[in-house]
Amino acid sequence: MSPARSVPSAILRMLRTDRWALGGVVAIVLLGVVAAAANLLTAIEGQDPFTYHNEALDHATGRPAGTLGGVSGAHWFGVEPLTGRDVFAIVAFGARTSFLIGLAATLVSVVLGVLLGASAGYLGGWYDRAVVWTADVFLGFPYLVFMIALGAVVPASVPRPLLLVVVIGFFGWPSIARIVRSQTLTLKKRNFVSAARALGAGPWHVFRVELLPNLWAPIIIVATLSIPGKIGLEAALSFLGVGMPPPTPSWGRSISGAIDWVRTDPMLLIFPGLALFLATWGFNVFGDGLRDALDPRTEVRR
Amino acid sequence: MRAVSSGPLAGARPSSRHVRRIATAVTAVVGVAALSACGANEQTPSGASQSDAAPGGTLNILTDSASNPFDPAKSSGLAITSLALVHRRLTSWHIAEGQAAKVVPDLATDTGKATDDGKTWTFTLKDGLKYSDGTPIVTADIKWGVERSYAAAFSSGLSYHKPLLVGGADYKGPFDGKELDSIETPDTKTIVFHLVRSYGDWTWLASTPAFAPVPKGKGAEPTYGEHPVASGPYQVAEYQKGVKVRLTRNPNWDKKTDEVRKGLPDEVDFQLSQDTTTVSQRLVADSGADQSAFGASFVSPAQLAQLQSDSSAKQRLVTSKSGALAYLALNTKKGPLANVKVRQAFQYAVDKSAFQVASAGSAQLAGEVATTLITPGITGREQYDQYQTKPTGDPDKAKQLLADAGFPNGIDNLDFVVGKTNSGPDKAQALQASLAKAGIKVNIRTLDSDTYDSEVTGNDAKYDLVLGSWQPDFPSANGNIQPLFGTTEIGNGGYNISRYSNPDVDSLIEKAESTVDPTEAGKIWAQADKKIMQDSPVVPLIYTRNSFLHGSKVTGFSIADFPSYPNYLVLGVNK
Amino acid sequence: MTRALRFVGIRLAGMLVVLLIVAFCTYVVFYLVPSDPAQLSCGRPCTPENLTAARQFMGFDEPWWRQFLHFLTGIVTGRTWGSGPTAIHCPAPCFGYSFQQNATVVDLIGQRLPVTFSIAIGAAVIWLVVGISGGVLTALRRGTFFDRFMMIGSVFGVSAPAYLIGLLGILVFGFTLDMVPVGGYVPLTQSPVGWAWHLVLPWLVLAFLHAAVYIRLTRSQMLDVLNEDYIRTARAKGLTERKVIGKHALRNVLLPVATIFGMDLGSLLGGIVITERVFGMPGIGRLIIDAVGQHDLPLLLGTTLFAAFLIVLANAVVDLCYGVLDPRARLT
Repeated sequence: MSPARSVPSAILRMLRTDRWALGGVVAIVLLGVVAAAANLLTAIEGQDPFTYHNEALDHATGRPAGTLGGVSGAHWFGVEPLTGRDVFAIVAFGARTSFLIGLAATLVSVVLGVLLGASAGYLGGWYDRAVVWTADVFLGFPYLVFMIALGAVVPASVPRPLLLVVVIGFFGWPSIARIVRSQTLTLKKRNFVSAARALGAGPWHVFRVELLPNLWAPIIIVATLSIPGKIGLEAALSFLGVGMPPPTPSWGRSISGAIDWVRTDPMLLIFPGLALFLATWGFNVFGDGLRDALDPRTEVRR
Repeated sequence: MRAVSSGPLAGARPSSRHVRRIATAVTAVVGVAALSACGANEQTPSGASQSDAAPGGTLNILTDSASNPFDPAKSSGLAITSLALVHRRLTSWHIAEGQAAKVVPDLATDTGKATDDGKTWTFTLKDGLKYSDGTPIVTADIKWGVERSYAAAFSSGLSYHKPLLVGGADYKGPFDGKELDSIETPDTKTIVFHLVRSYGDWTWLASTPAFAPVPKGKGAEPTYGEHPVASGPYQVAEYQKGVKVRLTRNPNWDKKTDEVRKGLPDEVDFQLSQDTTTVSQRLVADSGADQSAFGASFVSPAQLAQLQSDSSAKQRLVTSKSGALAYLALNTKKGPLANVKVRQAFQYAVDKSAFQVASAGSAQLAGEVATTLITPGITGREQYDQYQTKPTGDPDKAKQLLADAGFPNGIDNLDFVVGKTNSGPDKAQALQASLAKAGIKVNIRTLDSDTYDSEVTGNDAKYDLVLGSWQPDFPSANGNIQPLFGTTEIGNGGYNISRYSNPDVDSLIEKAESTVDPTEAGKIWAQADKKIMQDSPVVPLIYTRNSFLHGSKVTGFSIADFPSYPNYLVLGVNK
Repeated sequence: MTRALRFVGIRLAGMLVVLLIVAFCTYVVFYLVPSDPAQLSCGRPCTPENLTAARQFMGFDEPWWRQFLHFLTGIVTGRTWGSGPTAIHCPAPCFGYSFQQNATVVDLIGQRLPVTFSIAIGAAVIWLVVGISGGVLTALRRGTFFDRFMMIGSVFGVSAPAYLIGLLGILVFGFTLDMVPVGGYVPLTQSPVGWAWHLVLPWLVLAFLHAAVYIRLTRSQMLDVLNEDYIRTARAKGLTERKVIGKHALRNVLLPVATIFGMDLGSLLGGIVITERVFGMPGIGRLIIDAVGQHDLPLLLGTTLFAAFLIVLANAVVDLCYGVLDPRARLT
């Protein structure tokens, strides 16, 4: 059996020894809690991300009244210029957007990547070559440009979150498929798999019973390491105006809106920017830690 | 013009329809909720008070648009912006602050003689008019220019004249050898237009781009606009796609024949594809060549906020007093909205001050609350308010009206269509919130610019409400009323998006259109304005303000009551 | 020799198939969504006759598969819209025509190419130099403070989105310290100093983000290589460390770095779109963003496919070079 250590115990051990990974987990958990409890937190604050607060604005310029972008007891992170919408509420609900889309897209990538990678490795032959070749094509594809174009032409009637999840998830399968395929190739040569095949087990059975349990560790590593990229991608698309449509809060769109205000109201950039950075950083160091803990030899290329 | 504009990306683009107009006018609108005016009242238009510069120098125009072709047929430019630097038309506009815009002769000796009750229009050219290449300008070239605008390849410009000319509905342009017989040129100086009906504003239509001369037989290539034969004070000396356009003096332009163009700078340079934020920063810094430059794009609210702390830049900021009418259209053909009482309830339910803030941060930045359909600066406009209430609206009164109309529990599930551009969704949300207070629940449906266009101007209207914006293409009340409220403009690409049809109004429109005397016509238009508002097919929101920034050496930079863009034709450069 | 030729032939054929598939998918996606580019080229007021005429002229009245065929043949033979004297010609390779901007897509891209190349090449030089030297140095000083510092820094680089770093750069170096211009582009021909000066911030931002990946990659490759027998042999033979690293180790490190570099071109283009947006550069990225804003479908389609073609081409070149350099890689 490949990684002899079980996944949960390895994670626990990692958290005890790897302070950076622990920091990453803290960041993820913190933002995760904010995302999950966004309703509760904003209720405590007494705000929501949609209501316009003209009274919180400087009436000559439309800028937030007060210092630091209008940070106050009523508006913890200040307010947006022109609308007076509460920035904390936007950041908190933005966390929900980021996490949901990032995780859902990762799930899509993992399912596609595992199915394609494992079947390619297991079945071999022309099918294997086709999958590998397709994966190579996708890895070199200018996917961001393609997604921008797609985001621009797909009509608003198609639910945007669904579109983002499908598109971001779809373009993520090749890196997962590659790793799963190479692991499957190694496993295939092992005795227990050959034995199962000799006993007449079908491919699906072999996959489910013999392969999958041994694939978890690499899948978890590569999935974790791909989450920050997906969160970043959603933010990038929203930043460019083809991601989440208003009014649904999104960090990327908030950062994009902050461009024009960088000079007069930098806090508008700082809060969502910091949140986005924390999320990607958290998943990155956590993923790195996982990789070191579960399989110290593999340095996964990203 | 429609100004349902601008992109989701900050500093983004206006709707393409707007862009096209803008691309030609190079009043490249920069999206953003901008449409704003910082301190419109506290500010004296800095240019107007200065005396004119001596002729000479280079004027730089910084625009975010990537192309600025000078093709009259494809243009929807105003008579006072870039296209008019190169092309003269039969007539032009005289605009000034505090005055309604007037039509004045340009190439023609007068503003046109109407005969046959305004069904036949005759223009005579001034003496000694020449193109940049030295050949004389003749009426056959005006005819060619108008005919050219019918060709499918060049059909993207202002088209008001097309269905009005006899035979225009089926005409496919001159390039297959067919002429439009309703335009007669008995001699090289005279041109006669035969219209299908009486039309008093033909004199205004003669100022639209298609009435610029194109030497007969020329202009078949799509790039004609990059090397046109010029009749105005400037000719295109250099056209670098996406980078710059350099205009130099047209030696054959005679100032004595031209009462609207000053032709002060020796050279006018358009710097294309400029980033609006960068443009704003350059103009604020006001150094070197940027001192004799101005930005053709609106200054965004974020940029305005930065300007507040910069007294030098603030002085070089010019804001229009008025502008495009932003309005909420109610589909008069659908469900509860077919009831006039229900529509009148909307007049009280809408919080116009929240709309102002959502547009540009404050009432002053966004523009004044609108109560009439005819915009300021147009002959015949009368200020009135049939539904007097606070700027924040009166939800209780609206509820009362709804109850009277048989909707005591309010109205649910109205479909509210809004363009994705120009912070449309943000503004729509402000309206959504105020309507909700009066018990009217709306669902916002955001559309891209082209789908927005086909949805709101198509034949099959599914929407209940639309957020629209409109500025006339020529300074006649006709341009405010007929395109938006004439029965003929419902569907089929027309902009009567409230699908409003009232025979009384139609006959008023017909009467006004066939009235040749502008003052008389103006009175009828004002009557139509009030008549329409009684039926409440739209809720006027604000007259949207525009702000522009210019360098310290630019002279004559001011914005008249209409249109809400600077007059390019009178700008000069101090040494 | 014939083996090599066959290898090249197969790769080229594969590339062609990839391009066809990419073009097909993009085209189908673009033309199955309900959108009417003709609406935007119709005059105002837009009569139904006008709209039909515009649609016909632009060729949008044909079924999508015909339009696709026209598009494909256009790349090889060029295309013509309309007929008679008003026809619009788009010479091969024709990637479409922007009716809104009155120019072929290839021309439009050509105008913007210098800007995008200026950003890309400058940034690539910086990050390759910093990334590879940083990776080698950290590997050689494994476990030192320097190593740890670089590794931690590189995680930050990997995690931070380009636009965030870009905006922070503008805020700190542009506005607060007033050291560099905050945006705009000056052509190299106009002023080489101004050109470099305006590009410093974008270069550093893009380089910072990519260098992180290359430091990590080079470091791990270097560590692997240093453990190989032949390095030990070389060291045992008494070669200087400089020679061991420079001649033997580095060569084996650079090969995978080159592969990743080829693969990064795709994401670099994406990064450039964002960088151009942040710094207000009129490059290809801005062209794409503008096409999105104006809903200029032909331009959007043309630029997307053009980008895809470039990337596939670059990958094929990297592939071929790799195959030539390293015979083991052939025909796998």
